[in-house]
Amino acid sequence: MAILNFLRSTILSKVVMAATGVILLLFICGHLLGNMQVFIGKETFNHYAQMLQSLGEFLWIIRGVLLLSLVLHIITSIRLSVLNNAAKPVKYRVTNYVKAKVNSRSMLLTGIMIAAFLTYHLLHFTLGVTNPDHYSHNEYYAENGFTVQGTSVTAEQLNDNPDAAHYIDREEIIVERHDVYKMVVLGFREPLIAVAYIIGVVLLGFHLSHAIQSFFQTLGITGPKFTPRMVQCSIIFSIIVVAMYISIPISILLGLVGGGV
Amino acid sequence: MRFTLHIWRQKDAKSKGEFATYKMEDVSEHMSLLEMMDLLNENLINEGKEPIAFDHDCREGICGACSMAINGRPHGHVGATTTCQLHMRMFKDGDELYIEPFRARAFPVIKDLVVDRSALDRIIQAGGYVSVNTGAPQDANALPIPKESADLAMDAAACIGCGACVAACPNGAAMLFTSAKIMQLANLPQGQAERKKRALAMITQMEEEGFGACRNYYECEAVCPKSISVRFISRMNIEYLNASVSASL
Repeated sequence: MAILNFLRSTILSKVVMAATGVILLLFICGHLLGNMQVFIGKETFNHYAQMLQSLGEFLWIIRGVLLLSLVLHIITSIRLSVLNNAAKPVKYRVTNYVKAKVNSRSMLLTGIMIAAFLTYHLLHFTLGVTNPDHYSHNEYYAENGFTVQGTSVTAEQLNDNPDAAHYIDREEIIVERHDVYKMVVLGFREPLIAVAYIIGVVLLGFHLSHAIQSFFQTLGITGPKFTPRMVQCSIIFSIIVVAMYISIPISILLGLVGGGV
Repeated sequence: MRFTLHIWRQKDAKSKGEFATYKMEDVSEHMSLLEMMDLLNENLINEGKEPIAFDHDCREGICGACSMAINGRPHGHVGATTTCQLHMRMFKDGDELYIEPFRARAFPVIKDLVVDRSALDRIIQAGGYVSVNTGAPQDANALPIPKESADLAMDAAACIGCGACVAACPNGAAMLFTSAKIMQLANLPQGQAERKKRALAMITQMEEEGFGACRNYYECEAVCPKSISVRFISRMNIEYLNASVSASL
């Protein structure tokens, strides 16, 4: 396995962890900004989902990069963990950590739990396997305006020119699309699913609170003034990410979002 | 002062070790932990028992010989201190102490509290030096060195090679030691000629010795008797990447 040979050095492995981690973090931020549109309303949210689906090959390129990053991140972390366990066969009778906090010591554990959550999350919302009753809803919508022989016109223009009414092709402007909004609302109305999601996201935040500062340390971006502030910022950033993500299931459970579904 | 000591006893490298418990009475608060161990050993010898083997040398905090973990912390719970400078007044009367050898696969136990730390020597042998003929001494300021570089090099050079970083690391990694040794020379003009070769050789040797990987726990920095910063690890990573890229092109 040529790729594993490349990863033989633990320092290069750490760089792989940092690089793949930052790609996944970018996705986490992008996904969050997209999800926040659920607060604007059904139309915006479903339109956003439709736009993502319409990316075609580009969407598959993004998915490919994310999947590759995830696989490398997991494989490298397993390899490093095996190596690290072997390097410390006997533990101390009394453990007495000073600087190793719960978040850094539990990276492997939170990582495994996040992977389990991610699998469920994909089965639920992306593949529609676990709850087809949430997934399999489409909506029909009419775009604002009409097309006359392929040219878009507004309702007023149509009224001003009654002759054009003969050429309206209404079939083309009624569009069917996946009702992602309904899927999310139905999903998070089930308290068990909402709680599982909240736990998954909190674990992710916990993982990130060490991961972000670890990224800077591994890649040599450190300094006496920069590092303490960066560590604080990475914790604050993780809290913001968690708060934004969990605001969605909480709002739906409280009935603040999705009342019309 | 009174103490209950649970000390790791292991006959030799092949035997299976275990804790033995010793009660100590009338320990002076001015004694260092090693002096208390001396007292205990005298008692053991008087009783006709085998004294406890432990490493020690200068007893003034600069040689790095004293290698033991007290309650799971190499060199004890006081920061920036070696075991020989750890005084009994820093503990509470009646404390129960677990004294163990440094734990890491790369540091096999030789006897009781003595471990074999020659893996660190082999890392130095791989490239932790400057190959020049020294010749006659040159003028003090013939080689200008910026203050910042000299300070960084001095901070790194403070490493006494005691191995507490390895012992404290949950992964048994020697990153702090190796990074201090690499960055000490990388910050000085004398170290430039062999800079990339040195980084590759020392890190390769470090990994061959069976030390673990860094997971940014920073336990090493916390126990280091010379308070060496983990920023050297961060710099070493860049040093290694730079050297790897140069070597592969």
